[in-house]
Amino acid sequence: MLSVDDVTFSYVAGAPVLADIDFKVASGEVVAIVGRNGAGKSTLLRLLNGLFQPESGAIIVAGNATSDTPVHILARSIGTVFQAPEQQIFNPRVRDEIAFGPKQLGLTGATLEARIAEVLERIGLASEADAHPLDLDQSARRMVAIGSVLAMQPPILLLDEAQRGLDKTAITRLSTIIETEKARGTAVILVCHDMDFVARQADRVLGLARGRLAANLPTKAFFTDKALTASIGVEVPDVLALSEALALPPTLTPAAFADAYMARERT
Amino acid sequence: MALLEVHDLAFRFPRAEKLVLDGVSFSVERGERVAILSPNAGGKTTLARWLAGLLPDGVLKAERGHVSMDGKDWTEWHIAERSSAIQYVGQVPSQQMTGCAFTVFEEIAFGPCNLALPEAEVRARVDEAMTVCNLRHLVDRDPFTLSGGEQQRLSIAAALAMKPQVLILDEPTSNLDPESRDDLLAQLELLPGELTIVVLEVALRPSLALADRFLLLDEGRIAVDGPAIDVLTHPRCIETLGMTAITEAGRRIQNAGGWAEGRPLPLTLADALQTLQVPDAVR
Amino acid sequence: MASGSKQEAGKQSLLFTPGESLLHKANPLTSLVIMLWMISAAAVLPTAGTAILVLAAITVSMATGVGKRSVKRLLITMTPIGVALIVVHGLLIERPDQTDLGLVAISPDGLDYALKVFMRVAAMLMATLLFVTTTHPSEMLKALDQRGVPPGVGYLVASPLLLIEPFSDRAKAIRDAQRVRGLDLTGSWKARIIALPILLMPLITLALSDLDQRASILSGRAFRAFPRRTVINAPHDSTFQVWFRRILVAVAVLQLGIPLLWHF
Repeated sequence: MLSVDDVTFSYVAGAPVLADIDFKVASGEVVAIVGRNGAGKSTLLRLLNGLFQPESGAIIVAGNATSDTPVHILARSIGTVFQAPEQQIFNPRVRDEIAFGPKQLGLTGATLEARIAEVLERIGLASEADAHPLDLDQSARRMVAIGSVLAMQPPILLLDEAQRGLDKTAITRLSTIIETEKARGTAVILVCHDMDFVARQADRVLGLARGRLAANLPTKAFFTDKALTASIGVEVPDVLALSEALALPPTLTPAAFADAYMARERT
Repeated sequence: MALLEVHDLAFRFPRAEKLVLDGVSFSVERGERVAILSPNAGGKTTLARWLAGLLPDGVLKAERGHVSMDGKDWTEWHIAERSSAIQYVGQVPSQQMTGCAFTVFEEIAFGPCNLALPEAEVRARVDEAMTVCNLRHLVDRDPFTLSGGEQQRLSIAAALAMKPQVLILDEPTSNLDPESRDDLLAQLELLPGELTIVVLEVALRPSLALADRFLLLDEGRIAVDGPAIDVLTHPRCIETLGMTAITEAGRRIQNAGGWAEGRPLPLTLADALQTLQVPDAVR
Repeated sequence: MASGSKQEAGKQSLLFTPGESLLHKANPLTSLVIMLWMISAAAVLPTAGTAILVLAAITVSMATGVGKRSVKRLLITMTPIGVALIVVHGLLIERPDQTDLGLVAISPDGLDYALKVFMRVAAMLMATLLFVTTTHPSEMLKALDQRGVPPGVGYLVASPLLLIEPFSDRAKAIRDAQRVRGLDLTGSWKARIIALPILLMPLITLALSDLDQRASILSGRAFRAFPRRTVINAPHDSTFQVWFRRILVAVAVLQLGIPLLWHF
C-alpha cells in the first residue's frame, strides 16, 4: 500500500534530516512511528503525503509516486490528520466541514449525504451536524477534523498525535475509528509519543533515531528490546515494565497482563 | 482562612444554554499541591481562569458565587496586586508568550517591569527564575523560536518572576514529548514548598507526579475531593477519565479474584510492584 | 522540524543589523528624529536636493555597515516604482511637450516629474531603512518606556514585529493542512481565488482568538498596572543628543512650515 524506498531528505544541503529510510506498510496494518523530538518524524510525515519531496529514493503511495503526483491528488490515497487539526476548520457547520474533502473528490447528491452521515456517526457528532464547529469543545473539534479526512476514505491514513489531550471518551472513539479502518483494509500510520496508546493500537513500530530508521519490528518485539527502546528514546509501557518486573511473559495491554498474572496465580 | 476559596461558582458563556460551572465550591490551603481532573468538556480551563482572577473580565460575569483569595473577592483586587498573588500558565506553550519581548530575558522581565520594581530587583527575579527553570543558556533567544518544552519552561519562569503565592497550571505537560515532560516535572519539583500549585489535567499519569490532593470536576461540579487513591479509583472518575494502564490491570486482576480483600488498587508502577505478588522464585 | 533552521529564520523578520557605528550607539529617539527630519526634508527639497539626500543616506549606511541590506531593500522596492513612474508620467499621460517616437510619445516634463517623485520616495525610504537597520526595536521600546510613553503604545510598535513569525508559520501550517485534504493550489487563478477563504478563515478565526488570549496573558503579567514601567539597560542619552533632537525637530518643522507660508 505504501512503500518508502531508500529515502534521504535534507533542508540544508549536506545535512540530511532523514537518511536511508526504507519500509513498507501493508493494507490493514497499523504502524506507529516513534522517536525523540527532532528525530525526523514530522519530516517523514510530510514526505509521505507529498508536501516534501525526497532528495533521493522514492515513495510510492497506493501506486502513485509522490514525486510526480500533486499533493491534492495524492490526498485521495493518503489522508493526513495533522497535530492540532482543529485549527484548520473553516466551515460554519460541522456538516460542511466533513463534506469538504468528499466534494474535492467530486462526490455529490445522495452519495455525498450518505458519506457525511456515516462519518458523523463514527465521530459521535450526528446530533451536532448543524452546529458551528467553534461552539464545540476542543476534542469534539478535533473529531470534526478527523472526520473530514475519514470522509475521503483514503486507503492510507496518517494520524499525527491525534490522541494528544483527548479524554477517555474521545480516545475510545479514536481507538474504534482506528480499528474500523484496519478492518476495512486501510493502512493506518500513527505518529505518537504515547507508548500506552502505541502498545494498544499498533501492529508494528518504526523507530526513528537521528534521522535513521533504527527499528522496524512487531510491537511486542520492539518494546521488549531494552537497548533499542533506550537508544530511540521512548518509554516502555507501564504494563510491560510491570510484567517484566514480575517475571511474567511480556504483555502490552492491561487485559493481557491480568490474564498472564492470573494464569500464574492459578498454577 | 483558606488561601484560595471558590464559593458556589456558577458561570455560563454568553448565549450558551448550559452552565459551564454549576455551583463549584472548594478551597485551597497555602502550600498545597492540588490537581483538578476533568474530561475535555468539563469546564477545566474556565475554572482555571476564574481561579487565576482572569474572570470576571467586565463582559463575562458569574451567574452566582465568587472566587476569593486571602478572603478578598477577585473583583476587589488591583491588577498589580493580583498578578503578584497568583499566576496562570495556559495550555499551548506558544500562546503563553506576551508578544512584547525579543529575548527570553525580556519575556521574563516583562511582568516585573510592569510592576515598576527597581531595576536590581527585576534582574534578581529574572536570574532566579532562569535558574529554577533551566533557561540560562537561552537568555538571548527569541521566545518564538524555542521548542514547545522550552517555551513551557519560559512561561513558567515568567510567572515565577512575579513571585506569586499560587501558580495555576493548565495541562502543563499535554503538549510536550516524554523527555520535555520529565524535564518539566523535575523542574517543578524544585519549586519552593510554600508555593501553592493547582494543576488542571485530563491525563492521570502526569498529575500523579504533581499533586497530593485531587478533585474531580465533572459537568461543572466538584464530584470528588481527596487523596489520589480515592479520586482516581472513584467510579465517576473511571467513567469519565478512565484509569492508568496500571490501575486497569489491577482492576482486572481484582475482578478475576486475584486480589486480597480491602487492598487498594495500584495507581503507579511502584504501587503495583508493592501490591502484586512476586513469586518466591523471582524474589 | 530542525530547530537550527528555525532559529536563523527568526532573525530575518527584523531588518536590524548589529553594529558599533554612531547611529547604532545613538539614543533610539535621536535616530528616530533624524529619520523624521530626513523625511520632512525629502518632502520639500527639489529633485537635486532629494538626490543628494539619497546619496548621502546611502553613504552613511555604507559607513555604518548596514549598506548592503539597505541598498538591497531600496532597489527591490524602488525598481518597480521607477518603472511605473516612467511609464505613467513619461509615456502614458498626455502632456503638451510630448514628442512622438513612432510607437510611443515621450514627454520630458513627465519624465522630470517622474524623477522628482522617484527621488522623493527613495529619500524617504532610505531614511526609514537607515533607522530600522541601526535601531533594534527593543531599544526603541525601552526609549519610549523611559520617556513615560504609555505601555500600550510600545506594545503597538513591538507586537507586529514579533508576531509576524508565528503568524506566517501558522499560515503555512493551514495551507499544508488544506492541501492534504485535497485543496488544489496549483490550478487556475480562479481556483486559487476560490481557495482563498479556505485558507483565510481559520487564520482569521485563530488570530481573533489569539487577541483574546494575549489580552489575558498581558493582564496576568500586570501590563498597564502603572503608567510607567521599569527600564532595564536603558539606552544611553546625553545633553548633546537632547539638544540635537530639539534643534532637528525645529528645523523639520520650519522646513515644512516655511514653504507653506511662502505659498499663501
